[in-house]
Amino acid sequence: MERRKFLGMGAGMLAVLAAAPSMLMAVNYREKLPEVWKIKNDEAAKGADMKGIEASIKAIFGSDKTEEGKVKLKAPDIAENGAVVPISFKAEGAKRIAVFQSANPESTVAIFDIPERGLPDYSIRIKMQQTGTVVVVAEIGGKLYKAAKMVKVTVGGCGG
Amino acid sequence: MRIKAKSKGDKTEVKVMMKHPMMSYNEAKKKGKEANFIVYVTAKNEGATVFESSTSQFLSKNPYMKFYFKGGKKGEEVEISWVDLKGKTKTGKAKIK
Repeated sequence: MERRKFLGMGAGMLAVLAAAPSMLMAVNYREKLPEVWKIKNDEAAKGADMKGIEASIKAIFGSDKTEEGKVKLKAPDIAENGAVVPISFKAEGAKRIAVFQSANPESTVAIFDIPERGLPDYSIRIKMQQTGTVVVVAEIGGKLYKAAKMVKVTVGGCGG
Repeated sequence: MRIKAKSKGDKTEVKVMMKHPMMSYNEAKKKGKEANFIVYVTAKNEGATVFESSTSQFLSKNPYMKFYFKGGKKGEEVEISWVDLKGKTKTGKAKIK
């Protein structure tokens, strides 16, 4: 019985290894890390909790040790409409960038893998249901760099 | 899907607006509907992947994105595809100007 169990596990491992090359070419993090998207901000903290973001950074990058610098983040000081908050971010040399916020029920907004011909320079529009902090983390040369910006939301988005 | 791709020297600038309600779990609950939103977006230039993003319920409705990639010539094609939580996919194309 024990032996059979062991053999069964071996077959499973082989299947994972066989799938690996295609995963290197393109990473859909909804499939690869489904649990990341469920990590919650502490609702009682009303947009001030950072633990949800820290846990999400660790789940995506394997570490939550970040340094300041190298990431340029632009976000408004005040967002009159939380349903559409324009943010843009750049991180030269980044292989991977992730965007988080502390304003919504869950922390993670988007994850970008930068392909060989990709440039780590993005603008997106996000929802924030209350005042909170936008955090962008970039992986550059095996290190993690972070930029954060507080956005005051006067009318919340997200139907919350 | 509306795509604008513009050659800017040694790089190409892409602006895309994807038509999707981006219904978050909270919004869906309030409206008595099912949550659904785009979860993965890729862009290709002449077959090579130049952009890749895994996304969530917290992108605004009809999400807009701007990004750049190295290379890309006028007249070449940029192809953008997305898939949502329910597995629906959509692909759009534009010529680089």
